[in-house]
Amino acid sequence: MPPQAQEFLSQLNAAIPLEGYLVVGAIMFAIGAWGALIRRNAVVVFMCIELMINAVNLSLVAFADYLPDAGGAGVGYAVLVIAVAAAEVAVGLAIALAVYRSRKTVNVDEVNLMKG
Amino acid sequence: MIVAFVFLASMTLICSLGVVLSRSVVHSALFMSGAFLGVAGFFVMLNAPALAAFQVLIYVGAVTVVILFGIMFTQRPQVRRFRTIMNRQIWPGLLAAIGVGAFLAYVLSVQNWGSTAPGNGLRDVANLGEVLLGVGGAPPIFGLLFEVISILLLVAVIAAIVVSRRKTGEGVDRGVEE
Repeated sequence: MPPQAQEFLSQLNAAIPLEGYLVVGAIMFAIGAWGALIRRNAVVVFMCIELMINAVNLSLVAFADYLPDAGGAGVGYAVLVIAVAAAEVAVGLAIALAVYRSRKTVNVDEVNLMKG
Repeated sequence: MIVAFVFLASMTLICSLGVVLSRSVVHSALFMSGAFLGVAGFFVMLNAPALAAFQVLIYVGAVTVVILFGIMFTQRPQVRRFRTIMNRQIWPGLLAAIGVGAFLAYVLSVQNWGSTAPGNGLRDVANLGEVLLGVGGAPPIFGLLFEVISILLLVAVIAAIVVSRRKTGEGVDRGVEE
């Protein structure tokens, strides 16, 4: 195998720096925030919030794997975050269902029941 | 590693954009499960295979199905133009999101994280269980957090039932009445 090819292969096998995961998480968080800001449908807003939660989870697990003093606690926090997100989606969809039953829409800019 | 990272990153980010920009709500839900699968792949790369299994079971399985049920119950067939799915904040929202993303990415990349190296994570499920219960050198607060989370899940399930329950005499059951 020529040395250039070997070097290329070793470059392909090199470890990803921590910043790579963090930047992917940050971009995913920004996309989720954009969707939560611009979409009208409440269910899609929930999906975008789930995306943001997942981006944070990705950062937590990346820290747990890369920082030597973290002791893997980030994975434990990620499990707790997943549980909170599951609770949130259950209650949120129940509220969306109740709103749909009374207003016949789940568009967040038409539901103004609590507007002063 | 780089090939897997680029593949997973593009899958995650493209699916996230698909959630925001697709015109059909069902397509949004399917794109969302794709993004969750990408994050699960990242968890495998980050030495957390048990968490990747949780991610696939809870997010790709349960949350996607619950959201699809929510879509089934709450959507009317409607004209799906971009004008109708977005509200008027699309360009200010894009500006704010780009600002947030650029700020986070910049801060996270210029920060000096000290000596970082992959492979510090806990691969074993037994170690993950010890962390979750706060024993064996893990922060002991996790024991309390574990209990609080279980109470929270119970309360959330009861709240979901109570909130979405039809009051007696309110509304009609379409399958029966019509």
